Amino acid sequence: MLKGHTSVVVVSRLARTGDEMSSDSADSVGEFIQGESEPSSSWMFMAMGIVLSLATLILHGMLFPGHDLPVISDILPVFEGVFDSGIWFFILGIMMGVFAIIATMMTEATSE
Amino acid sequence: MGDVVTAMAYFWGLMLLSYFLMQNGMWILNDVVKSMCRFALGKAIGPPIDFVEGRQGSASKTWIMQGMFWLIIASLFTFEGLWLAYDPHALHSLSSWGYNPTSNSLLYAAGFAALYGGVGMLIIGSSFHIIPKLADTELASEKNGTLVSYLWTLAVLFLIIAAHDSEILGINIFLFGTTLHGLAYLAVLINLLLTASERKSALPLPGWLIMLGMLADPVSVVATILAGIGSGAVQWLLAHLVSGTFFFATLAGISLYVSSSATGNPLWSRSLTAVTTVGAIATITPMGYTHGKMAADMLLVSFEEVSMQSTDGIAVAFLMALAVIPVMALVANVMMTLRGGDAFVENPDSAGVPEINLGTSMLLPLVVASLFVQSDALSHSPELSGISSTLVLMVIWLVLVPLALGSAQNIFPAVTGRNLLSANRSRWAFWMMGWGAFFGLAITMMADIAQIEAAADSTGIMSGEVRVVGAILFYGTAIGAILHTLNALSGLYRGTPVSEGRATSTSISRDDYSLTTPTSVRKILAGGAHLDTNIVPVAESDDAGAPTELH
Repeated sequence: MLKGHTSVVVVSRLARTGDEMSSDSADSVGEFIQGESEPSSSWMFMAMGIVLSLATLILHGMLFPGHDLPVISDILPVFEGVFDSGIWFFILGIMMGVFAIIATMMTEATSE
Repeated sequence: MGDVVTAMAYFWGLMLLSYFLMQNGMWILNDVVKSMCRFALGKAIGPPIDFVEGRQGSASKTWIMQGMFWLIIASLFTFEGLWLAYDPHALHSLSSWGYNPTSNSLLYAAGFAALYGGVGMLIIGSSFHIIPKLADTELASEKNGTLVSYLWTLAVLFLIIAAHDSEILGINIFLFGTTLHGLAYLAVLINLLLTASERKSALPLPGWLIMLGMLADPVSVVATILAGIGSGAVQWLLAHLVSGTFFFATLAGISLYVSSSATGNPLWSRSLTAVTTVGAIATITPMGYTHGKMAADMLLVSFEEVSMQSTDGIAVAFLMALAVIPVMALVANVMMTLRGGDAFVENPDSAGVPEINLGTSMLLPLVVASLFVQSDALSHSPELSGISSTLVLMVIWLVLVPLALGSAQNIFPAVTGRNLLSANRSRWAFWMMGWGAFFGLAITMMADIAQIEAAADSTGIMSGEVRVVGAILFYGTAIGAILHTLNALSGLYRGTPVSEGRATSTSISRDDYSLTTPTSVRKILAGGAHLDTNIVPVAESDDAGAPTELH
């Protein structure tokens, strides 16, 4: 259960409604340190994906020093002479923005 | 009498005639002309008119949304143009597709996209909402207004292609762009004139500013053709007349309306609005290019360098200096209306208000800078021509775009029935766009100055390296434009409905509140007063220039 109320929080909440609960009890501290919200699963997977990619890159560098990356090193030469200026990184950003607008138009128009 | 003075005389005469006809109508031909215009806007178009919706506000909404899309294209072209000034071969890989852009061609195309695509469409979209509101009536034809927006977009597309390569397969592409632009403009003008003719009460001055600004565009074209458009000086004059009327006067009217409606404050001064109205028509704005290439290309005549007779030069210098007066009047009026005599009734952070603040703040310094650059350009040995192109970009991105975009954003809820999706995203977009344009273009101007210095004594810093920094900073403007568009687009579908109201809280808490004019409790509370605030009455003034209620 990544998002929503955990059972610990619910129990802690119930305890808080009790008459004899003091402010420094373990239960109130428990609620404080648990928190009530969790990051969404999609963000968790994205973060894990980035960390895993970095780890794989480092591992490849250690296991096969001086070797090109498989698959990627075969694809990149295709773009040689095309994206040879820094301006393309910026244009790519604007293209992503334009695609985001198109996607928004499509999804907003078709969603209920 | 020189060409420029003759053209100005024609312009003033025709504008007076237009104003007289607007006030008095066309005598017995009135009804016939109106019926013909209604027919031209509706049934004469045939089946295409049934493809668009005619709900109230649909025309305004379509123009505003397309204007926002054009701002993205304009900012992209400007960014690329600035970058290519540093690295001319950055986009050479596109040559395999037959596209060989240069810095100049990209900036020229960006001018069309920003002025006619972005600013122009936002101006017309806002006018379609404001004129019916001020005239206390409805837009003559919502359907025509909606349909014509696509024609205008097509015209801008042709103009952008022509800015890159004016002749393709032996055909002058400007011919298509100008024809479509002329047709669309005529339809917009008829629509607005018909709406104004149905007014239930006297049109307030901001409404006149918009109407005269719209009328002045075709009038200035006719005046300059009569005076001889083949002359470089007349071409330059046409560019500046359009800049001072269609862009400045209409934006002035729109900004004045929005500054009042956004804050809930009455317009600060009617006399200053009158000064702006008369001044915009009677003077020549210094804002704009130092040549008339855009005007010459759009009228399909060969471009000539500006060369003025001494009488023309004196008249132009005098009229350009006078143009500072309407600008000062507008800036003071908008600023004071935004601040208000007592309170900001609506949310001070409401969408569009920061943009209008930015545009108004930058207007006066940039007009004064333009005055120096234009005067220098018309002299025998110009020294500041190196910064003129960047100064025009500054005028576009720090004055015209903020005023047009801010106004459009502010009337967005009234037009669409929904608020923008997120005030937070709107704020982010404002900062990115504002600071991107300010720093990006300021640094580009530093590079321009460095280049002028280097040409003079072959020393100085490498301006190319500075240019790329300017281009990268300007990239924020493109991102800001995308964020604004996304915000508006999502707002169309998921924005809070206007009927539900929106948060108008203020964080300002006041212990004393000066009551200068009779006002409502709501207004006092909106100004940050609370139950324990002392209300201090201050003597009321009945002097001329007292607040003008703008309904």
